[in-house]
Amino acid sequence: MKESNCGEDWGPVSETILSVEGVTKRFPGVTANDAVALEIRRGEIHCLLGENGAGKTTLADILYGVYRPDEGTIRFRGEPLELASPRDAIEAGIGMVHQHFELVPPMSVVENVVIGTSAGQWLNLSEARRRLGEFFSNYDVRIDPDAEVGRLSVGEQQWVEIFKTLYFGVELLILDEPTAVLTPQGVEQLFRILRQMRDEGLTIILITHKMNEVMELSNRVTVLRAGAVVDTVHTDRVTSRELARMMVGRDVLFRLDKKEFQPGRPVLEVDDIRLESETGRGSLQGLSITARAGEIVGVAGVSGNGQNALFDALVGVRHPSQGTIRIDGTDTHDKSAHRVSRLGVASVPADRIQHGLLMDFRVNENLVLGRHRLSRFSRRGLLNSNAVNDFAAESITGFEIKTPSASHITRTLSGGNLQKIILARELSGEPKLLVVHQPTRGLDIAASEYVRQRLVEERDRGAAVLLISEDLDEILQLADRVAVIYEGRIVSETAGGEADRETIGLNMAGVVAGEETTVVKR
Amino acid sequence: MTPSPPPELGDGDRPGRRTLTSALLQPGAGWRLEKRLNVRPWHELIALLAALGAAVLIIAVLVAAIGKNPWESFAALYNGAFGGRISALETLVQATPLIFTGLSAAIAFRAGIWNIGAEGQFFAGTIGTWWAYDLWGGLPAPLSFIIMFAAAALAGAAWSSIAGGLLVRYGTNEILTTVMLNFVILYVLSYLLAGPWQSPGTFYYQTERMDEASFLPRFFSDSRLHWGFALALLTAAAVYFLIRNTTLGYEIRGVGINATASRYKGVRVGMVGLAVMAISGGIAGLAGAGEILGVYHRLQTDFALGVGFTGIIIALVARLHPLWTVAVAIAFGALVNGSTAMQYETGIPSALVQVIEGVALALVLAAAVASRYRIRRTARDG
Repeated sequence: MKESNCGEDWGPVSETILSVEGVTKRFPGVTANDAVALEIRRGEIHCLLGENGAGKTTLADILYGVYRPDEGTIRFRGEPLELASPRDAIEAGIGMVHQHFELVPPMSVVENVVIGTSAGQWLNLSEARRRLGEFFSNYDVRIDPDAEVGRLSVGEQQWVEIFKTLYFGVELLILDEPTAVLTPQGVEQLFRILRQMRDEGLTIILITHKMNEVMELSNRVTVLRAGAVVDTVHTDRVTSRELARMMVGRDVLFRLDKKEFQPGRPVLEVDDIRLESETGRGSLQGLSITARAGEIVGVAGVSGNGQNALFDALVGVRHPSQGTIRIDGTDTHDKSAHRVSRLGVASVPADRIQHGLLMDFRVNENLVLGRHRLSRFSRRGLLNSNAVNDFAAESITGFEIKTPSASHITRTLSGGNLQKIILARELSGEPKLLVVHQPTRGLDIAASEYVRQRLVEERDRGAAVLLISEDLDEILQLADRVAVIYEGRIVSETAGGEADRETIGLNMAGVVAGEETTVVKR
Repeated sequence: MTPSPPPELGDGDRPGRRTLTSALLQPGAGWRLEKRLNVRPWHELIALLAALGAAVLIIAVLVAAIGKNPWESFAALYNGAFGGRISALETLVQATPLIFTGLSAAIAFRAGIWNIGAEGQFFAGTIGTWWAYDLWGGLPAPLSFIIMFAAAALAGAAWSSIAGGLLVRYGTNEILTTVMLNFVILYVLSYLLAGPWQSPGTFYYQTERMDEASFLPRFFSDSRLHWGFALALLTAAAVYFLIRNTTLGYEIRGVGINATASRYKGVRVGMVGLAVMAISGGIAGLAGAGEILGVYHRLQTDFALGVGFTGIIIALVARLHPLWTVAVAIAFGALVNGSTAMQYETGIPSALVQVIEGVALALVLAAAVASRYRIRRTARDG
C-alpha cells in the first residue's frame, strides 16, 4: 500500500495557490471548523482526510462559497478571498463536485455543461460540443456529448460534473468523496485522469476517508479531527497506519476477532428465484444461495447486478415471480415484510435514510420501529413509553449512539450514529437471519469497524448473516463464504479463506473460469 | 461500466443549497437567505404572528377598498364573535363542526393521506344520523344518541373507505376520489330529500323536524350550544391520545413521514391507510350528527356547506396538531359568527370570511416555510 505514483519528481517547491488561516465555523451546538490552517500548492493533489463529522466537507463548502467562515482568512493566488456564493468561487477559479450531483437528468451532456455559463443571450452549443469533445478525447473518456444525462451511469455523470467545472476554467478543483459512487474500474479511471489533470497543472483537493485513495493518489494530505487540523504531511513520508492513528486518535483494529467457523443448520435457502425489475436493470435471473447459522455469507458484486432486488426479496418487500425463499424451512417468497420479520429476520438496508429510518421521528421512536407491536413495547394497542425509553437508554449506551437525548429528532444525527440506531434495533431481537446491505457505506473508519465487529458478534452468537456489499475489502475481511452476484445470478462461491481478490474481481466482471471457482446453477 | 441509479448517500441535506427555494432566493451579495439548522418554537411563533398581522392588514385594505372603515368593521366582527356571553357561546356553536372536520383532516394528513372529502363524509354522517333516527329515534335518551352518533360515524367512515379502499388496493389518487365522492353524496342526499325522506306534503327538499326528544341537550337555556361541542373536545383529546400513545398512531405518523421505510420495517402500510381513512371519515361523520341533532333538527340540502373544506384549512393552519386544531377551529368559528354581525352592522358581505380564511391559510403556510430560514447580511454589499 505504501508504494505510490505520486512521483519523486514532484517537489515541495511549488508556490502556494491557496492558504487558509484560522478559519472557524460554528453551527448551533458544534464547531465544525476550529481555527483551521492549511496551504495548498499549485499542481498538487491534496487529500483532506478525516472521519465523518471531522469538518472536511464544511471546510470545502467554505472554500466554495457555500458557507462563510465565522473567523479567519482565505487567500487565493495571494489575494484575500471573500465569497458570498459558489458563483463567486467559480469566478475566482475554484470549482467543486459534491457527492450529490447537480445535474439536470433530462438534458444532454453538453446542455448540462453549458448551464450557468450565461455568456450572452444565445447558447453556443456547437462551440461547447467541440470543446467538450476535445476534453473527452484528451482524457480518453468515451461519452457522447449529446447523450441524455439521466441515462448515463453514475460514473459517467461524475465525469460530466467534473468537466462542467473545468469548462468554467477553474484552477482549483475540490472533489467530495468522488469514489463513493464508483465501481473499482471507475475508481481506476478517475485516478488515472486526476493524475493527468494534475500533471497538466490543475490543483486538486480530494476529500476522502479511504486510506488507499490517499496513499495511491495524493502528494500531501491534511488530516482533520473534530474540526481541527491534526497535521499536514507528505504522503510518501507516512504510512497508512500512522495516518489512521492521526485520524481517529488511536490505533484502529484492522483485525477482527472471530470465533472458529462452525456452521450450523441452513437458516436461509434461496432456490432459483426470479424477480423482474421495472427498469429491466438489476433483476434476479434464477438466483440461489444458502446461509447457515453461524456463518457470514458475503455477496460481492458491482452495483446494479440485482443486489437491491435480492435484499427486497429477502425482507419481503418485493416478491419473486418464481422460486422459493426458505427461512428455517418456511417459504416466504410471497410473504409480506411484516410476516418475514416475525420469522426472526432482521435487516440493514443500503439506503438508511430512505429505507431504514424515519428521519423526522425521535431517536427512541426509531429504535423500536417494526418492533413496536411486540408485547415488550405495547399492550392492547397502547405504546408503553416507559419500556420504549428504557430500551432507548439501553441502546444508546450499548451501541454508543451519540445523540443529545433519546427524544432528539433523528435527522440531526450523523451517518455513523444513524447506522448504530438501525443496528441497535435490528440486533435487539436476536435474529436468526440478518440481511445487511452496504452496512458501512459512507461511514468513517471507526464506525465501520464498529459495525463489522457487531456483525461478527451476531455470527458468533449463531445467526446466519448475509452481507451484500460492494466493498470487496469488507467482504474479504468478514465473510466465511464469498458469493459473487452478476446479472441477477450467483456466478461463483468460494470459501472465505480461499477467496482471492483477483478471481473475485473477474467474477464480478462476469468472467467465470478455472477450477478453483464453482459455477453455481445457471 | 454498468449503469446504476444514483445512490442516496450519507449526510442528508445540508443547509444552504440544493432546494429550489434556496436557489431562487440566493442573490450574489447583499442579503442572503439561509436554511436554519434548528427551528425553535419561537421562530415559528414569530412567523405565525407576522402572518396574522399581515392577514389583518390585507383584509383592512380590502375593506377600505369597498369604501368601509376597516377599524369599525373589525370592531363589529369582534363584537359579533366575542362581544358578550351569548355571542361567545354562539361562536362555539359555529366552531363545533369545524373542530370535527379539522380533526378529520389532521389525522389523515398526518398519515400523508390527502383526504379532501370531509365535506362529503360530513353529509354521509347526516344521512346516517337520519337513518338511525328513523329506525331507533324512539329509544330512551342516552341510548338513542349513542346509536345516532355511531351511525353517523359509520356512515362517514364507509363513505371515506371507498376512497381508502381504492387507494390501498389500486393506488387511485385519493385527492381525486374524495373530491368526486363529495359530489356523489350531495346527489344521494338530493335524491333522498326529493323522494323517500321528503317531508310529506311539502315541496322543500328537506325532512320533517325531529321529535324534540331527539334534540341534543343544550348547556344553557339561552344559547344553542349543545353537547356536540363537548363531544368535539373529547374527540380532539382522543385523537391526540391516538396519535401520541397508541401503536396505530405511531404507525400513522411513521407512514406519513416515510411510507417506504415503514413498509421495509414490516408496518402494514395498507392497513394503516384503510384505518386512517375510516377514522378520518368517521370523525367528519360525527360533525354531521352534531349539526343535525344539536342545531338543525332536520335533514336538508343547503346547510353547513363548506365545513369540510374549512376543516382542511384549519388542520393546515394548526400544523396538524389535534389540540391546536381546536383553538384554530374556535377562531374560525368566531369569524363565521362575527361576520354575520359585521354584515348586519356595516353592510360588508359575510362572504368576506372566505377571503379572510384564504388569506390566513396562504400566509400561515408561508410563515411555516419562512420560519425555517433566516436572512443574513453578507459582507459584499455596497
